[in-house]
Amino acid sequence: MLQWHIPATTEMTEPAIDTDGLTKRFGDVKAVDGLDLTVESGEIFGFLGPNGAGKSTTINMLLNFVSPTAGTASMLGLDVSAERKQLHRRIGVVPENYGLYERLSGRRHVELAVEFKNVSDDPDELLERVGLSQEDASRPAGEYSTGMGQRLALAVALVGSPELLILDEPTSGLDPNGARELRQLIQRENERGATVFFSSHILEQVEAVADRVGIIDDGKFVATDSIEQLRENLDGGARVTLHVGREPEGPVAELPNVRDIEIANGVVRGTCLEPDAKLTLIDRVRETTTVTDVRIEESSLEDMFASYTSDGSDCDDTEAAVAGGVEA
Amino acid sequence: MSVRAVARKDLADAGRSKALWAVTLAVVLFTAGITGVAGTTSDEPANVVFGLAFQLVVVALPIIALFVAKGAITGERESGSVRVLLSLPPSRRDILLGKLVGRTALMLVATLIGAVTTGVVVVTLIGSGLNLLVPFMIFLGLMGMAFVGIGVGISAVSSTDGQATALAVTAYLILVALWNLIQRGIQAGAAELGLIEAGSQPAWIQFIGVFPPNRAAVAAFETASSGGQIFAADPFASVWFPTLMLLIWLIVPVLGGYLRFRDADIG
Repeated sequence: MLQWHIPATTEMTEPAIDTDGLTKRFGDVKAVDGLDLTVESGEIFGFLGPNGAGKSTTINMLLNFVSPTAGTASMLGLDVSAERKQLHRRIGVVPENYGLYERLSGRRHVELAVEFKNVSDDPDELLERVGLSQEDASRPAGEYSTGMGQRLALAVALVGSPELLILDEPTSGLDPNGARELRQLIQRENERGATVFFSSHILEQVEAVADRVGIIDDGKFVATDSIEQLRENLDGGARVTLHVGREPEGPVAELPNVRDIEIANGVVRGTCLEPDAKLTLIDRVRETTTVTDVRIEESSLEDMFASYTSDGSDCDDTEAAVAGGVEA
Repeated sequence: MSVRAVARKDLADAGRSKALWAVTLAVVLFTAGITGVAGTTSDEPANVVFGLAFQLVVVALPIIALFVAKGAITGERESGSVRVLLSLPPSRRDILLGKLVGRTALMLVATLIGAVTTGVVVVTLIGSGLNLLVPFMIFLGLMGMAFVGIGVGISAVSSTDGQATALAVTAYLILVALWNLIQRGIQAGAAELGLIEAGSQPAWIQFIGVFPPNRAAVAAFETASSGGQIFAADPFASVWFPTLMLLIWLIVPVLGGYLRFRDADIG
């Protein structure tokens, strides 16, 4: 399921996305601060970070909507600014905060993209692929729900079988069913050979499809790795909570791969870094007292996310971090 | 290729809106209606009636043209559709030119319908003057295009629709509504400072007089309709000079707008 990507050597294809010291300053604020990003050809890369971390500004620079204060960016070996027209024939994009032409039909939108990219795709086939019926396709986009609009934007992005798909928060506005369909579509496009770069502030979306993840906060990468590797590096382990008949007298002795053991209010807690450490801890506690209940919480991606991004800016993240046991 | 596609898209989108029909109706009412009133209330010959109508129409057409054009770019920026367009191959230049072509076509269609209706009205009421319809159409058309250009330029330098509206109104006030005052003020000021003799009209004062596109259009039409020479030695009594002014207005605001839009952050 998860693939491990070996960095491309020079004779391999060029990276799908390559930035070098990419920086954007708005007045005194550095929205993106010296970002070095490399997305290899053929991978699904999840670009993760809380709102306001610099994801959109980065994508805006990649798409030449915004010009960088410093640094360079290229995609498919083409400079994002100097060679943008050539580049934009080969990529497909669902930008953030995009708008549709309210008076034009869904089909007309796709036809326009076909015309602009100078390809011969069948608009109806593309619309069907994203789950818009013929009937919906004939209606003006102004009558679309958010989810339908998102599907249409995706159909526009798929025109010309792009080598690189850039999706900025593609799941916003989609119901769970739509989000699942989107994941399947991303996987199909990837199997076809497309590199997929998508941003999200929702971890499970990224976890489900991405080969590699880059976590950005305050305009800088705080981590870039495969999800498995990130989880390993996190060193969060599992939080084991044992309800005991009576608190053990004296501290529980040091155990290998068990950290932060605390005893309070009839409960023994410990963080187990390896799977078998959980049993070791339980056995050790049972030597001195009776265990009446056991709770084990695996560290989730949420914890990982919260531990990587500075202040766990929104409530959900903070709660998840506390529940997972990564208390400050 | 891209320019044409953007222009067609713009026309298709605008064509489905009520704006086109509102604009056409407004232009027809202003040109044909005013000419009709001028024709029935006076016994003047056709060229005077046309001249009177032209003078009145150039007050109304600029605001219509500015409002047709001022949302060309800001509308797409506010709705976010420009992000879709810019994600596709068309460049900012393609988009700006496509929009200019689309909105100009819209304005020209409306002006053409208005001018033809005017011709019918004049010929019905006065029975002559059909030959004046051609310069009437050409100079109204050019002026409409110039104001569409100004409007598209304004749209390209603005980041919001509100800003574009404010600039469009300002442009109208300066170039159309207040230009008489501005010209007189400059003239009086220059006389006060001893730069010119009171009441005299040196070339640069005359230049100020034909500077706005509406003034240039009136000057060109009056010279043309009163049998003046196209290439008269005195530029202010010629057709070519005010026409040149109109052509400059067609290019400069759009070019200025492009330079700003090219480097703008579409956040």
